[in-house]
Amino acid sequence: MRAFELYDATTVAQAVDLLKQNSSRATKVVGGGSDLIGGILKDWVHGAGLPFPDVIVDLTTIKDLSTISVDGGGATIGATATLTDVIEHKDIASKFPLLTAAALTVASPLIRNFGTLGGNVNQRPRCWYFRGEDFNCYKKGGDFCYAVTGDNRYHAIIGGELCYIVHPSDTSTALLALNASAKIAGVNGDRTVAFDKYFIGPREDVLRENVLGKGEFMTHVTIPNPAGGTKMAWNKLKDRQVYDFALTSVAVAFTMDGNNWKDGRIVLGGVAPVPYRATVIEDALKGKDIKSNIKQAAAQIRTVARPMSLNAYKVDLAAGLIERTVMDALATN
Amino acid sequence: MARIEAIRVAQDAEYAASLSDADWHQLSLDPDWQQLVAEQSEMVAGVIATHGHKLPSFSAAASARPTQPEAPRTAFKIAGTDVARMQGIGIVTNLGQYTENMRMPGMLFMRTLRSRYPHAKITSVDISKAQKLPGVKAVLHRGNLPAEYADVFLGAANPTRFLFNEEVFEVGSPIAVVAAESEHVADEALRQIDVQYQVLPAALDFLEAMKATTPKQFTSNLDGTTIAVTPPLVRGDPTNTRADAVVDVIAHKPVEQHVALEVTNGLFWWDNDKLNAVYTSQWAHGVRANLSTALKIPQNKVRVVQPGYVGSGYGYRSGIDLAEVHAAILSKLTARPIKMNYTRYEDFVTRTHRNEFRDEMKLGVNKDGTLAFGQFKVIANVGAQRAGAANGAWFNMQNLYKIPNLKLEAIDVFTNSFKSGPYRCVSHPNGTFALEITMEKAAYAIGMDPIAFRLMNLNEVGNPDTKAPFSNPGIRDCITAVRDQVGWAQKWHAPKANQVRPGVYHGIGMAAHACSHGAGGNPASGQVVINSDGTVQCISANNDIGDGQRTEMMMITAETLGVPLTSVTITPYVDTDLTTDASGTFGSQQTNTGGRGQFEAATDARKQILDWGARKFNDDATKASQPATNTAADMDMVDGKVFNKNAANKTHTLAEVMAFKTSGAIVGRADYVQDPKWQRTAWAAHAAEVEVDTVLGSIKITNYVAAHDLGKAINPFAVQQQIEGGVVMATASATTEELLIDKATGLPLNPNLLDYKPLSIKDAPLANVIIIEKPKEYGVFGAHGIGEPPMALPAPTITNAVYNAVGVWVTDMPLTREKLLAALKAG
Repeated sequence: MRAFELYDATTVAQAVDLLKQNSSRATKVVGGGSDLIGGILKDWVHGAGLPFPDVIVDLTTIKDLSTISVDGGGATIGATATLTDVIEHKDIASKFPLLTAAALTVASPLIRNFGTLGGNVNQRPRCWYFRGEDFNCYKKGGDFCYAVTGDNRYHAIIGGELCYIVHPSDTSTALLALNASAKIAGVNGDRTVAFDKYFIGPREDVLRENVLGKGEFMTHVTIPNPAGGTKMAWNKLKDRQVYDFALTSVAVAFTMDGNNWKDGRIVLGGVAPVPYRATVIEDALKGKDIKSNIKQAAAQIRTVARPMSLNAYKVDLAAGLIERTVMDALATN
Repeated sequence: MARIEAIRVAQDAEYAASLSDADWHQLSLDPDWQQLVAEQSEMVAGVIATHGHKLPSFSAAASARPTQPEAPRTAFKIAGTDVARMQGIGIVTNLGQYTENMRMPGMLFMRTLRSRYPHAKITSVDISKAQKLPGVKAVLHRGNLPAEYADVFLGAANPTRFLFNEEVFEVGSPIAVVAAESEHVADEALRQIDVQYQVLPAALDFLEAMKATTPKQFTSNLDGTTIAVTPPLVRGDPTNTRADAVVDVIAHKPVEQHVALEVTNGLFWWDNDKLNAVYTSQWAHGVRANLSTALKIPQNKVRVVQPGYVGSGYGYRSGIDLAEVHAAILSKLTARPIKMNYTRYEDFVTRTHRNEFRDEMKLGVNKDGTLAFGQFKVIANVGAQRAGAANGAWFNMQNLYKIPNLKLEAIDVFTNSFKSGPYRCVSHPNGTFALEITMEKAAYAIGMDPIAFRLMNLNEVGNPDTKAPFSNPGIRDCITAVRDQVGWAQKWHAPKANQVRPGVYHGIGMAAHACSHGAGGNPASGQVVINSDGTVQCISANNDIGDGQRTEMMMITAETLGVPLTSVTITPYVDTDLTTDASGTFGSQQTNTGGRGQFEAATDARKQILDWGARKFNDDATKASQPATNTAADMDMVDGKVFNKNAANKTHTLAEVMAFKTSGAIVGRADYVQDPKWQRTAWAAHAAEVEVDTVLGSIKITNYVAAHDLGKAINPFAVQQQIEGGVVMATASATTEELLIDKATGLPLNPNLLDYKPLSIKDAPLANVIIIEKPKEYGVFGAHGIGEPPMALPAPTITNAVYNAVGVWVTDMPLTREKLLAALKAG
C-alpha cells in the first residue's frame, strides 16, 4: 500500500473545503471503505484514468450524515447510513420494502454493518479485467477492452460500448425503481440529480459510472413517497448466497388499475453499465392485464439485449427473473 | 551425488533404468518421492513394478520385519469415542499461535516481483532505484544471486525451476525479491525495479499444446509440450470385444485451487550456521529435507517448526516453493529474520493446483448389466512444470468394477499456466467424476437401476492387474447404506419425470468411489514417554493442519497403553529438532503413519511398563515374604492401573510403578515399515437429491447422504467433520469454483476469494454421514484414513442427480447455470 493522507471531515462544508484545497492532487472520499480501502490495499488503483489517491476524506466522521428520516414527503437517507441502518429502519421497511430487500442481499452482514448507502451506490464495477492488476483497460485510462474478445460471461448484455462492465450496486437498482434522487455537494456548489440521470454509461465517460465530478460527493438520497397501492418486489440472482454480486437483479415498483399495469418501473441490475430501466417491458405492460401478459412482455428484453460471446444466458436469466419478480410483486398485499 | 528427480523416475523409464542401488536408496528417502507414493501411487505403480525390489521400503527384506501379528481388537475404551480436538479453543479464539501472527524483533518483510507474462525471457533487471529506497535492506535476483545457489532448482529438471529463471514459463515466476523494513516499502521497491522482457509464444490450451505443431519449450521426444505418455494399461481385449450398448462420455474438469484460509507464510532466521523456519507446512521434516537440499546444508543444520495452528493446506503445503528458499537466503544475507507472506494472489497463482483434465470415456455394456469393455483416456494439463496427474485418475477405473477388457491411457501436457500438484484426493476426483457419470449413463442406456447396476459389477477381491488383495472392502455396504438412507426405491424415477413446481424438477443420483488414499506410509515413527509421575507424553512429528490428528495420536497412545486419555498430552506443534519423521499430512495417511508410529511406540512402552510392573509386584511379594513369581506376561494395564491378570484385586498405579523404577522415564519407540502386500483402499458412496430450476438454471441440493468405509473410526467426531467438510469443498468445485485465465494474455482472471467463489455456509449442503466400519488388517485398530475420499464423489453425484431431474448431461465441471441452460436448450 502506498502512503496517502487521510482526513476526518466533521462537516460537509469541511469535506468540500478539503477537496478544494487538494484539487491539484488525486482525491477520494470514503464511507465504509470496504471497496476503496480494500482496493487500495490490493494496489489495483492504477492507471492514468484511475490515479492512486493522494488524499482521502472520510465522510463517516461527519455528524448527521448517517441520519435516516421518513416523513410525508418521502425518505431522506444520509450517504453514510450503513446498509444495516437502512435495513433496520422500520419506516423504510414499511414504505420502501424494495430498498430494504435489495440492501439485505448485499454481500454479508459484516459488510452491511460497515458499508454505507453512499458507498454502495458509488462503488466501482467488479469487472475482472478492470480489477486485474495487469489489464490496462479503457476504464483505467488504457485503450482496450479485454472483455470483448476475452471471458465475458459476467459482462453487459445491454448498453455496452467501449467498456462492458455491469453496474454492481443492488441499492442503486432499487432506488432507480423508486424514482430516487441524489443530493450532491462539491467544490462547485450543491446540486440534486435524479437517479434517472445520475448514472452514466461508457459512451458518455468511460472513466466513471455516475455524474459525480472531481471534488464532488453524494450527501443524501431522497425517495419520494410511492403512490398508494404501489406493488414492489426485488430479486437478485447470484451464484453464492453470501458475498456475491448480481448475475441479474430485478427491482419492480408499479401501480395497478384493477388487474392491469397502470404505471411503474422495472429496473435491472447486473446487466448493463448502469442500472437499466427496462422501459420496453414497462411499455409492453402498460394498461394490460399483468398476469396474462407478463411472459410476453418480459421476453421483450431480448429486443434490446446485445449479448457478447459468452453471456447470452444472462438474457434468459433476465427474462425469467423479470417475470418472477413482477409475479412476486403481484402476490404482495 | 546429484539429487534424484522423483518425477523423472516415475515418468522416464530410461532415467529409472540408469539409477544405481545407492540412487534407489537415496530416492526412497526423497520427500518428493515419498509424497508421490502417498498421494499419487498410480504414478509410481509402473516403476515400482519394475524396480521395486531395489527400494528399501518395498523390498521383501524390509517388510519381513520381526513383528508379532497383533490379534484383531474388538473392545475399545477410547477409540470410537467422540473427542473434541485438543487445539479447538486455540483455533476458534485465534489464541493459538498461527505463523501469520508471529513477529520477531528486527524482522524484515519479503516481497516478490513476479512475471506478468506466461512465457518470456528476462533480458534485464535493473534494481538500482529499488536499492536506494530507504528501508530496503536487500534485493535479490538472478544477476546477484550468490554463485553457490546458481544451480539450485526445485522439482524435476527440463524445464527447470531455478531460484530465478532467465526464461520464465509462467505468470508469477519470481524475478526479484526484496527484503525491507515494512511490507509497504517492499511493495514500493518492487515498483522501482525495471524488468525488460522478451515475450515468447505461450502454450495456454493443453489440447493444442500436445500437438506436434506446437513449438517445443524444452528438450523432448514427445509432441509439442507433452510431458509424459504413460504406457497404457491393457487388460483382456478392450478393442475387439462387442457389447449390446456403448456409452461415450467426454468429461472435463477445470483448474481448482485449495483456498486454505491462512495464506502460505513463514518466519526464517539463522542462529549461527543453523536455519530456523516456522512455516505453514503439512510436513515439517519434508520441508527440512527440501531446505537442506536447496541450501546445501545438512539436515541437522535446519530446524523447521510447524506450529500446529495452520490454516490448512489440502495438499499444496507438503513441500516448499521458491519463495521459501529466497527467504532463507535473504535472512542469511541480511542477518535479520525474514517474514515471508504470500498474498492471496500469490497463493492462488504461484502455488500448485488441481489441474485441468479431459477424459475420453467409452464403456461397453450388455443388456444383462455386465460390463464388456472400457476404453478410458485421461489427458491432464499439468501447467508450467514437470509433473504428472493423468494416470492418477486410473485408480477407480482399474479397481472399482469388474471390467474384463480394459484399456487405460494417460497423457500429461505442459502449458504456461497454473502448476499442478496434490489437492485433496489429487486426480481421483477426476477419475471418479468421469467413471461414475459413464456408469450412470450406461445404466440408463440399458434401462437398469443405477444402484443395482453398480452392485452387480463391484470388484471386491483386489487389484485385478497386480493381484494385490483388498482387506475387508466395504463398498457394497456403502452403496446399500446410501440407497436406503436416501430412499432410493421410493424416489428414483425416469429423467425429468418429477416436476415439483412450475419449471422446477426433482432429481436423485449417486456415485461410488474407490481410493488409494488413507493407506499409511513410511516412515511411521513416533515415541511415547512415560514420566516419573506416570503421566504420558506423545512425541510425534504428525503435522496437524486443522484435521485433529494430534488428538487422534493421543487417543491411539492411550488406547494402546491402557491409560485414561486425560493422562496423555501432546504438543500442538512439531519441531524437527525434537521429533523423528512421521511423514507428511497428505495421502490421508496419518492415521496409519503417525498413528502407526504412536501405536508401535505405545506397544513398546507398554511392554516396558508391564516388565517394571512385574518387578514391582515381585518386590511387594518379597517384602511380604511371599514367592516373587510375577512376569511381564502375567501383567495387564487398564485405566492406568497395573495388575496381575490372576490377581486383579491388587493394583499399582502407573505412577507407583514409575516411582519404583527410579531410573527415570520409560521411552517407547517405533521401528516399523508398512507391509506392501495389500491394495489398501478407501471405499465410499454418496447420494443426493436436487431441485433444478429450468428457468434460472439454479441447482438446489435438498438432501445429501455420504457413506464411507474407513475400517474403524478412531474419533468418529473428527471423521464426521472430515466427511462434512469434504462434501462442502467438493460441492464448490462441482458447482462454482474454477480458476480462470484470460486466453489472450495468460493472466489470471479470478485469483481472489470473491471471484473464485468458494461456497458460503448458506450454499453448503450438510451431509448426512454414515460411517461403515469393516476393519482392515493393515490398519491401526483396523482403521483406514479418511481425509481425501469424500472429495471425489459430490461432482458425479450431483451431475447424475441433475440428469435424473432434467434429462440432460453436463459433463463439464463446474455445473454452472450457463452450461445447464445451454444443455437444456440443446435438449
